[in-house]
Amino acid sequence: MGDATKRLLQRLIRRTRIQMLKTTLEKWDRLTLAQRQSMVFIQSKSAITEKLLSICEENEWTVKHIAELEMIHVMDNPNQGMWYAFRLMDPEDDAHSVELMQFKEQFKSLLHELVRHVSVKIKKHADEAIWIRIAWGDGFSQPNHLKPTYVVHYLQTPFVFVTSITSKQKPLLSQALTVSTRHQDLKNANLSGRKLTAIRDLLMQQYPQVFPTNFPGHTAENNQMESNPRRVKEQAGLEADRLRMAHKAFGDGMLPELESAVYELETKFNGHANGTMTDREQPFRCVVKFTSTNLLESLRQCASSGIVSTVTPLFSSIPRSGKNYFVITNKSHGSSSKTSNITEPQILDSKD
Amino acid sequence: MFKFVSGFYCSIVNMERGHSSGVKTPPTRGVVQKSKNKTYQQSYRSCLRASSRFALTPALTARRLNTSRRAPRLHNITEKVRPEHLDILMKTEWKLAYVTPLYQFRHTQLQSYSRQLSEFIAAEKQQGLAVEVEGLQSSFRVSFSVVPGMTEADDDAETVLIQIHSKPMFARQDKPQKPVWSGWLTCINGNPDYLQSLPQDFICLPLFGSSGSEVLTRLVQSWFQQTFDCCFGCLEISETCLHWLAALWTNCHSESSIQRLKLIWTIPVKPVLQVTYTVNPQDAWDLWSDIRKEPGEENEGEDGRSVDIEEVTRFIQGLKNHFYKHFKLDLSAGPLQQVSTALGSAKYSGRIKISSSRYMITTLTLLTEGALLKMPI
Repeated sequence: MGDATKRLLQRLIRRTRIQMLKTTLEKWDRLTLAQRQSMVFIQSKSAITEKLLSICEENEWTVKHIAELEMIHVMDNPNQGMWYAFRLMDPEDDAHSVELMQFKEQFKSLLHELVRHVSVKIKKHADEAIWIRIAWGDGFSQPNHLKPTYVVHYLQTPFVFVTSITSKQKPLLSQALTVSTRHQDLKNANLSGRKLTAIRDLLMQQYPQVFPTNFPGHTAENNQMESNPRRVKEQAGLEADRLRMAHKAFGDGMLPELESAVYELETKFNGHANGTMTDREQPFRCVVKFTSTNLLESLRQCASSGIVSTVTPLFSSIPRSGKNYFVITNKSHGSSSKTSNITEPQILDSKD
Repeated sequence: MFKFVSGFYCSIVNMERGHSSGVKTPPTRGVVQKSKNKTYQQSYRSCLRASSRFALTPALTARRLNTSRRAPRLHNITEKVRPEHLDILMKTEWKLAYVTPLYQFRHTQLQSYSRQLSEFIAAEKQQGLAVEVEGLQSSFRVSFSVVPGMTEADDDAETVLIQIHSKPMFARQDKPQKPVWSGWLTCINGNPDYLQSLPQDFICLPLFGSSGSEVLTRLVQSWFQQTFDCCFGCLEISETCLHWLAALWTNCHSESSIQRLKLIWTIPVKPVLQVTYTVNPQDAWDLWSDIRKEPGEENEGEDGRSVDIEEVTRFIQGLKNHFYKHFKLDLSAGPLQQVSTALGSAKYSGRIKISSSRYMITTLTLLTEGALLKMPI
């Protein structure tokens, strides 16, 4: 049994909880009945590792088998590591009719052409997503299974999610993906996060949306019915307004658990009434990062509690455009007059 | 001589409340037990408002940090302090505490103190207090040393460094040992009135920093309390102090690049929102120098002009306003938690890390002042 196989298996066990390991092994279904019965999951991890390594020897598993096991594990626990979202651009005419088998064959053959030694595994998940695991090698060395790239793509949509890819590998992946899905280009969608489910829901707008109506109707007014009618809240009107503003921007249901948003500000300084800073033409460069366990929920709370006086387009564009990385500059007019000292910040379409 | 009253009542008012209450200032705080020869120790606060002891002063004026201080100059501390000491002090994050003056602490008896402290730790261990840090350790070896060259004013006592090394069962002679716990006591530019009013036997080293396990920190502190009749208390770095650090560090950018000015706030919503505001160093410097020039004074070019609290406040307010214009979120809604630049980082919880020896003295001066203010005596 190769050294690589052993290391991969050891690392997988080390990083997995015992209960989760049991479920994953059952799903994988490559242990014989006798072997399954001999595995006792109440032991310590080192004992389990020893047992699994001996079973691995017995069954003569190769690194490809263990890679498959790892893939099953990651598919069930996608909310680890850092995921980056991409968007396929400029579909060709037959982009909508790309089928799974066709995609699989083309992608694999393209990648094998581009990279001499590469190991590709493609699986379909229950929710129609295609999962791809790529172990990269190069002209001289075998594929490195310890640093695989995972790619998730929903066929016939332009969305792709990638984890653990280097800048050298990205153009190769990009080329293989664009050709096999019949698009022209793969662009950075400026959305990233640890939870795949969260960024997927945000980008593909799979969470309770709010639609602007002229007749608000239900919403939060109903909650006030059960409180004592003799108790009058002094700022009830203002509170209701704030709540409405918060719901308008972020909806009133569960929000995808985005963890952070980064804004690179390159706008003119706007902090003082006088002073030479406001006359300065160069931008005041700073980077603002908002982090939270559930960022959109925090922002919604900020709006409804009044910490934020209005929900600016900077915040509302997170759910609206499904991004969490923005570069803000001033709008460039034809001739900027020196007297106006407030220019509207504009969200620039971010760099690739 | 007179006794030190350790359990006295004092109402320490929160430094951050800026409004003045029209309350009559109570005459003295804490210790005044007059002895036969009429020497008495002034409380720190009475030193600050010497002239107005019985007047109707707003209760808070005296309890703030100095409203103006000298602009930090490049200190060639490397000339005065040995590099191995600097190495120990820099690049570690220290947890701060304040210490009341130490009774009969002698810089000449450090050897004996080392022995006493290691015996104390061994005794505590025997009593069953768990001090095991890693693996099998038979005992600890403590070393007290003086760090000469760090003091600025004449009244400052020399800095003392304490290190605890573990003595493993099978001592390996070849490996140089890293200490499992380090700490120091220092006083940099302490208030001279206060220091001079201390009686003969007392030494004031109000700032204590420690790095290592909590258990050992508590042991060291209780040994000090027993031996020198002093009190320890945890020192938070107040928001004003953090503002000062942000401004003073930015002021140093022209001489040595700060690489970035990073400020971290937390906003009290559920779930907690953390805002990290990182400013480009050159732009921060431009803003700061713009504020320094503002009242139209013609004192340009000299670097000895002192920095005023107003300028610091305007600097931070300017940054907050710029933020507000974009996000409509007032950063005053939540506490400022951390300030960090290439010169060091300071956290509200009382942790400090000094990454550059050149401005170490300025930072320590500010922290010494904070410790002296927080001290109940």
